[in-house]
Amino acid sequence: MATTVDSLIDNTIEDPTRRAPLVTGGLDYDGVTDMVSAPAEEARPPRIWFVLLAISASLTGILVALIGLLFFKGVGVWGNNNPVYWGWPIVNFVFWVGIGHAGTLISAILFLFRQHWRTSINRAAEAMTIFAVICAGMFPGIHIGRVWVFYWLFPIPSEHLDMWPQFRSPLLWDVFAVSTYFTVSLLFWYMGMVPDLATFRDRSKTRLRKFVYGVLSLGWSGSARHWHRYEVAYTILAALATPLVLSVHTIVSFDFAVSIIPGWHTTIFPPYFVAGAIFSGFAMVVTLLVPMRAIFNLKDLITVRHIENMNKIIMVTGLMVGTAYSIEFFIAWYSANPFEQFAFQNRAFGPYWWAYLTMFTCNVFVPQLFWFKRIRTSMIWSVIIGILVNVGMWFERFVIVMTLNRGYLPSSWSYFRPSWVDIMMFIGSFGLFMTLFLLFCRFLPVLAMSEIKGTMTFQRHMAEAGGYDESGNH
Amino acid sequence: MSESMNNENSRNANRKLIGLLGQFDDPGTLLQACHSAREAGLRKIDAYTPFPVHGIEQAMGIRRTILPFIVLFVGLGACGVGIGLQWFTNATEGWGLWSGYQFKISGKPYFSLPANIPVTFEIIVLSSAFAAFLGMLALNRLPCLANPLHRIPRFRSVTNDRFFLSLGADENGFDSGTARDNLNRWGATDVEEIWLDETDHRMPAFLKTVAILGLILLLVPPVMIYRARGMTSRQTRLHVNPDMDFQVKFLPQSLGPISPDNPKEFFFPHKRSGFAPVPGTVPRGKGMDDIEFKRGIQAGSLEDHQTASSTPAVLASSGSRQESGQQEGATEPETPAEPDWLTRFPASVDINEQTLLRGQEQYNINCAVCHGYSGEGNGLVNQRALGLVINGHAKWNTARSLYDPEVINQPVGRIFDTITNGRSMMGPYGSRIRPADRWAIVLYVKALQETRINSPQPDPNTVVAEAGDSESGTATDDAAAKSE
Repeated sequence: MATTVDSLIDNTIEDPTRRAPLVTGGLDYDGVTDMVSAPAEEARPPRIWFVLLAISASLTGILVALIGLLFFKGVGVWGNNNPVYWGWPIVNFVFWVGIGHAGTLISAILFLFRQHWRTSINRAAEAMTIFAVICAGMFPGIHIGRVWVFYWLFPIPSEHLDMWPQFRSPLLWDVFAVSTYFTVSLLFWYMGMVPDLATFRDRSKTRLRKFVYGVLSLGWSGSARHWHRYEVAYTILAALATPLVLSVHTIVSFDFAVSIIPGWHTTIFPPYFVAGAIFSGFAMVVTLLVPMRAIFNLKDLITVRHIENMNKIIMVTGLMVGTAYSIEFFIAWYSANPFEQFAFQNRAFGPYWWAYLTMFTCNVFVPQLFWFKRIRTSMIWSVIIGILVNVGMWFERFVIVMTLNRGYLPSSWSYFRPSWVDIMMFIGSFGLFMTLFLLFCRFLPVLAMSEIKGTMTFQRHMAEAGGYDESGNH
Repeated sequence: MSESMNNENSRNANRKLIGLLGQFDDPGTLLQACHSAREAGLRKIDAYTPFPVHGIEQAMGIRRTILPFIVLFVGLGACGVGIGLQWFTNATEGWGLWSGYQFKISGKPYFSLPANIPVTFEIIVLSSAFAAFLGMLALNRLPCLANPLHRIPRFRSVTNDRFFLSLGADENGFDSGTARDNLNRWGATDVEEIWLDETDHRMPAFLKTVAILGLILLLVPPVMIYRARGMTSRQTRLHVNPDMDFQVKFLPQSLGPISPDNPKEFFFPHKRSGFAPVPGTVPRGKGMDDIEFKRGIQAGSLEDHQTASSTPAVLASSGSRQESGQQEGATEPETPAEPDWLTRFPASVDINEQTLLRGQEQYNINCAVCHGYSGEGNGLVNQRALGLVINGHAKWNTARSLYDPEVINQPVGRIFDTITNGRSMMGPYGSRIRPADRWAIVLYVKALQETRINSPQPDPNTVVAEAGDSESGTATDDAAAKSE
């Protein structure tokens, strides 16, 4: 029962009379299951997996050691100092939390818009979201100085103290936004995974796997009544996650926009942060999925068309952030506020001109290469541009935070220099992220099998209605 | 494999047939079969599929779930909880099991909805997401790890590529043979019996203990936090990095820093961490030799009192300010510690128009907010404070009128001291106004008083006397009225 087209067919060709196939390679339901289960069921994963895991686990080890150093010595081990008290930790926080946004966008917003191509990439993108938010939450978490009283962030009653969080502070909004975002993303991810975990349970050969996947899949039986409530719940979660994902980066931007600092106190920050988050998140998804589909042989499920679609989104959001950068300068000029004008002049032509130039090149010019179909369907180019976009997006946050280096008082002007701990912690956070992602690839269903099978039937219905055969040909 | 053997061999009394399971190879046939089963009047049917098959709800007659309403109500509740939490903790104080704490931030109101929207929104989303997920599990009766279907080896392909329809044995008029025929007729490629084995249906007993223990252990961290925050301790606080307590810095009377160029030499030639004061520096508390000019006390009079130190006499009694304020308002008995106040201006103060104008300027800047520009004690701060007193929001002693007979009778030294060190609710201005300017203010105050005392209009003394008379008059009137 072959239900999908041959992989030789180029599914990136736009033909308005027919819907492009999303699964290739002549796979049937069983073929999809085999292909997705293979990474988790192979006796030995590919050697490259071990190499990558060794590297990223070592980096994670360095990160853990440096966190220990930080707790023991205090935040002075970082380069944070007057006037840039928010150094790399907040740059890294905004960078990572932004990366997470693509996962929720793919899983929730594209779901509500019935974009069926999301089914092949949503699981990995959601996993990426969760791991990115873990890395993001870590940085402000270890930045609070006295980490052992972290619970002061939460409204926990006390017997005599009558001390509560200050609910009108953007930094507290951040605590609520990021922790809610993490929890809801985790719920969404896990719930989507339950039917696929049941597949793993039913395929498992050893007692341990049977037990673990059996417990994780909660006894899922695929009953039609269960599916009905499951789909309603999934839609509700998508509808909740959609405003949530927009709110999270909005609130992150409030950290800056609510303060009365020239260059920060602007209403464009929320939309511009959200667009930038989606931009960097998609770049990260492409950077991760291209190697993943090669290493685990998923090319028939994550097709060139999927990568191309994501590259188009990168191009669009790249244009959005480019517009935002330009509008900022216009508004600075139009405000007739000399401090505002100075802040932007200082950003582009001040001591950090090199960072601004990197940001502008990587975020605005480089994605324009995707206007060429040959580049946006090329895997190598996709990864290169994806990495460059993330370099640019990291520098965007760096440039914004470094606005502080020249404030109202020229005698306080200084040039921020990170310490080696700053640099190694940032690299270490990539190690943590990659370690979690590699473990995910090995032990959990990397693609949403049940959803892909659902779109395969849909694809077949469309084919029948359109009057062409199952292989996608007229 | 062994399970299927069990399935075949041991059909003892503990096993019960609960239905038949038909296998289908594609969703279309299953959908048709569901239609047929429903048309045949069967109700205890369920379909099992590897992915949601659309249209199966209608075919099987599944009613729409109430889950969206559950989520809606939880979301609305969370909205109330979110706003209530922020209002209670930040905008109220002093009631409830745990008191809130009123944060006054940048003069903003205690409760303003826009600033409370982000947190409320996040609480709504968080609660609604949990409601959707847990509600789905509860309505589906999941997790359910002991399902007789999972004992059927063939059923494992339900999560891969096969579709199943079960006909329940609890259906009215269920007959195993007829049901099997039906399933075959509707296109099932294979039919199996579903057996419920009651012997191994129970949960292992230890799981319950483990679950209860786990729940209790989960309670430990919040209880510890609650206890830690409610407890006072005489122990030194535990600090992981006590670098705030033990800072690297140079203390007074110690050796100074080492030269960065030569580690054998000191950075400062005198080797000390501190420097001698710059010539002309006046240390705090010194330079009060001219007590007439600096303190308003007659020279040579202080030796008579025990307060020979430079501490102002009034500060010694500042602990009982409130009471002394009331005493002043009432009878003001001369306290024995009161020094001999200067009754004339010190010699170094020039009594001329320039000083008077300077005094007026300083008075209007520093004093008029409470005592009023005309000195009647009707300044704006005083008016506002009296308004708050009426509402019970503040405690306030009315600002003195400068034409109060007691003030008029005070020696200039005493007025100077009041400005310098404060009285009652009035704070000290010694650190804010220079001595010469304080004397200028005293001069201006005296001039203001003079306008009332020696003006051709009604004599203030007689006015006061009349007021006293009228008071006593009403009192006698009242008494007369009572006696009548």
